This record gives sequence, C-alpha cells and structure tokens, in this order.
Amino acid sequence: MRALAFAARSLTRQPARATLGMLGVAAVGALLFDMLLLSEGMIVSMRDLLDRTGFDVRVTTTPEMPRTAPRMENATETVDAIQKLPDVRTAIAIRFADVAIEHGQGEPLTGTFQGIVGASRPWTVMKGRDLHDTAAEIVINRILANDLHLEPGAAIVARTSCDSSPNASLPVTFHVSGIVSFPFELANEIMIGGTLATLERACGDVTRDQADMVLVTSTGPSDAVATAIGRIRPDLRAATNAQMLGRVEQGGFTYFRQISTVLTTVTVAFALLLICVLLTVSVNQRLGEIAALRALGFSRRRVVADVLCESALIVGTGGLLSLPLGALLAMWLDRILKNLPNIPADLHFFVFEPGALLLHLTLLVVTAFVAALYPMQIVARLPIAATLRSEVIS
Amino acid sequence: MSQVIIDAAHVTREFAMPAGTVTAVRDVSLHIHQGDYMAVRGPSGCGKSTLLHMLGCVDAPTSGTLTFDTRDIARLSDNERSLLRLRQIGFVFQRFFLLPMLTAAENIELPQSEAGVGKRERQSRTRELLDYVGLAARAEHRPSQLSGGEMQRVAIARALANRPRLLLADEPTGELDEATGGQIALLLDRVNQDGTALVIVTHDADLASRSHRVLMMRDGRIESEQAQ
Repeated sequence: MRALAFAARSLTRQPARATLGMLGVAAVGALLFDMLLLSEGMIVSMRDLLDRTGFDVRVTTTPEMPRTAPRMENATETVDAIQKLPDVRTAIAIRFADVAIEHGQGEPLTGTFQGIVGASRPWTVMKGRDLHDTAAEIVINRILANDLHLEPGAAIVARTSCDSSPNASLPVTFHVSGIVSFPFELANEIMIGGTLATLERACGDVTRDQADMVLVTSTGPSDAVATAIGRIRPDLRAATNAQMLGRVEQGGFTYFRQISTVLTTVTVAFALLLICVLLTVSVNQRLGEIAALRALGFSRRRVVADVLCESALIVGTGGLLSLPLGALLAMWLDRILKNLPNIPADLHFFVFEPGALLLHLTLLVVTAFVAALYPMQIVARLPIAATLRSEVIS
Repeated sequence: MSQVIIDAAHVTREFAMPAGTVTAVRDVSLHIHQGDYMAVRGPSGCGKSTLLHMLGCVDAPTSGTLTFDTRDIARLSDNERSLLRLRQIGFVFQRFFLLPMLTAAENIELPQSEAGVGKRERQSRTRELLDYVGLAARAEHRPSQLSGGEMQRVAIARALANRPRLLLADEPTGELDEATGGQIALLLDRVNQDGTALVIVTHDADLASRSHRVLMMRDGRIESEQAQ
C-alpha cells in the first residue's frame, strides 16, 4: 500500500475529523480564492470596460476624472482637429448634463444626459435604432425604459441643465429612437444620449460648444496618438486606456488590493494552523502505531510521506471544494459590492483569471507542505524504542 | 552449530535522565543462533524490553558491539536498519498495534508492500499466513471485529510476512487470558519449529518454559541462563 493510499485509509479512521478538516480548508480556500480574485478583479474589469468602449485615448482638461475637471471649449473644433491626426480613426466629444424626466407621477426621475459630437457613438443599441442628428431625438438606457415603460418611438418631457439644477430649465419634449447600453452607466442610473446640439438646445445654451471629454479610437499605437494630441493641444491631457487604468489604480482601487493582501495572509495562516493542529493531534494519537510500523521496518521517509500525503489529501480535497464555493461566494459578494455608490453597472470586483487560480493552487500546495512540517518532524524524530516502552506503560 | 544471527558483546545501554544516567542494560553478551528459542525473564524494569529493542535494531547500545549477520548495528544508517528490520526481523507487541482501518489481510500485506513484494505474491503469502495462524475466515475483518487472541495471531502473521530469520515478541500474551495465551504459545512454538529464531520477553513462566533457553535478568544484567 503506497503512502497516498495509506494516508487515505488513515483519514477514514476519524471520518468526522477528516471531513471537518476538508470543510475547513474548503471554507478558508474559498475565501482565499475570492481574495485573489478581488486583488486584481476591479483592475481587470475596468480594463475590459475601457477596452469594450472601442476608444483607446481619453482627452480631458486636467488629469482629474471626467465631470470633475473643467470643460474644454470649442468641442467641435477640437474633435475635428484630433480626427485629422494620423492614426486616428474616429474622435467624439461628450458633454454631461443633469436631466430630470417628468412622468406625471410625483417627483421627476433624475439622471445624466450625454451630448455627443462626432461620427461614432459611445453606446450600444439594444432596441430600436440609433439617433439621427436631428433635434429632439434621443436614446435612453434600459433603466429609464423599464421605469417609464418606454419603447422606441415614445416621447418624454425632460428638463436639462448644463450648470444649475434641471428644475430651473424649461421642459423639452424628446423622441426616443432606441434603447441603448452605456458602458459606464451606474447601477440604477438613468441615462439619456443625444447630440451635443440637442443637449445644448435643451439647456438653452446653443452656442457654448463645450465638452467634458473627447474619446478617440486610434489605428496605431495609442501612446503615439496621445502624444500627438498633446502636441496640437498642449492645454489638454490625453491619456491612453493603460494610463487611465494607472490613474484609477492610484485612486481607491489600491485599497481593495491591500485588503485582499491582508485577508489572503490571514486565511493562509488560518489554513496552516487548522491543518497543522489536525495532523498533530492525529499523529500524537498514533505514536504507538507509528513506532510499531518503524519497528516492522517502515523507513523514516515512508512514515513522513504518510503524514505529508494526509496533509495533501485534506488540503487537496478541501481545495477542490473551495473552487465552486469560492465562485458562488464571489458572485454573492460582487452583487453586494456593486451596490456601492458610483460603481458602473458593468464593473465587477471579482473577476476570474487563470493567474489567480494558479496562485490559489500554489498557495494551497505550499500550505499543505508547511502545515505538515511540524507533524512530519514529530514522526521523523520519533524514538521507536522509547515510544513502544511508553505505550506499554501507559 | 547453526549460524549466529546476533552476536552481542558487552552491550550496555544507558539513558540520560534529568535525575542522572540510568543504565538499563549492563555488559550483556549473548548469541542468538538460527532456530534458537529464547525467553528473557526478570522483574519489571530489569532491562528486558531494552535488550529486546537492541536485538531488534530499534535501539543501539551505548557501548559494546551488537552485530546482526556480522554487520555492526551501530554503523548502520537509520535507513539500513529499517531495511534490516523489514527483511530479517519480525516484531510482535504486547498491544498488537494492528492498524484499525485495515483488514486482517491488509495488515499482513503491509510489510510485504513496503518490502516491494508484487501484488499477486503478496496476496498468496497473506492467504498462506492467515491459514497458518488459523484465521483464513477472518481475512476481511478489521481489528475491531477480532478478539484479543485473534488480533495477536494476525500480528504474528504480520511479523512473519517477509519471512524474517528472527522473531522478537515483547510480552505476546500480556494482554490475553490464560487459554488464549496458551493458543498463542502453541503458535509461537510452531513458528520456531518452522525455523524462525524466536526471542520472547515475558513474565509468563509457562510461556518461558517452552523455550530452549531462559535468560534471567536483574538490574540490567543477565543473572542466569538456563538451557531447557
């Protein structure tokens, strides 16, 4: 009987203890897996979100995030100038405004109006059609459509404000051409899209031509395009997706990584203690038998291997269970965390990556080995004669 | 004269204790030949088990020399001693030390498996041994399903699994009633008659009386040796 089979049989001696050990490792392993998913999850998800928009350079007036930075003037002219740069496929300017949609049943619904200048659109049409560049035509997101039971072709009345409260502006009727998905819309956030001209007309600001951000799709290296934009408009800050991600990482995202590192360390330490205690108790209860096996000719290496295999079986089985458990826990935690304010609906905190799985498995293997070190040492240093003598006396 | 298996010359075993050094075995010299049947008797604490452990290569003398087949035990590595025990020496313990999660057959197979014996040969030898100790019908029973005498018979079969030249038994009837102890004594007689040298540490005068030689120990020394 080889060491692994022998270890498996040894575990069956105390099935309750072995099961508890495996379940303990499964629970700790699930938490460990989730912490590893969390450590990079938001960054991976944000990168995916940025890439999915189809724009790889973002231009603002300062390094601050859009809507917190001052607006840029002459948006149309800026977009045209960027559009003419080599390696630029398309450029659009976006202006954000607050909007209040009237629906005749109490308080108006408030949301965000994105006004666009340029040939492409930052949203994806889900139903109906995209807007034509005609006045008073808009697209809406599914949240608004669901809230007011709107379909393409419907009309809504909204007050839009580019600077002050939307309630201060005049109500304007808009026609819904389609229902769309905005890449960075927040959970439960109402969003409307239209042309910048439509937005400014609704604001009563027909000549301002201001934008919060310009989005660029390049055909070549995005770094070079960002540099070229900086050259023609030194007053603006052009950042590639990678640079935007860097800015985001320097912000609040690092806290998640720090929390994940601390919790990973704690969970690994807990798993180590759990397995070490279980194996030590188990080995101490079997000292007489182990001494007898040694007397019968079992080598030191063999009895040490038995203990290591027991550890590997407990951690291995618990580790396997931890994966589906961790996945379920990650989905649940993700749903809870996405309720935090100002989190885009498509952003996830826990994202599966092969690297996280590999690290998870590596940590479990190391845990199985390190946790078994002390009980292995007990077995390796077991004095055969003295143990047999003390077993008889006891 | 038959071949000498163990040659112990002026063997002493001391233990360092907090209260001072304790000498468990003092200047003991003896030979064990092929086919010998020797009993070691004496009061508790006289060094019987310590001597047995040294003869079984699980302990080494503090001074003196102990050779197994002319190989000096003190010069063997831990691994070499393990291998020697596995192939040449069998142990029977007072408390049996059968593995409770294994069946009787699996307990007997275990040392053979460790010695690298092939599965078919292992199974055949195990059947043969179970038959030998009269437990063929109990092959698939676990130790918890066996009586004390049956467990000791399985332990003897396990000790014989790799065809050792020397079988050492430490109080083999110590946990058994008189009748069951008698059955074990008969079995041990048979083991010796079949050619295996036997050294038994026992308080049981009846068991000792079946041996060819009886060593009486006191205070770590051999007080007397009687041939029977």
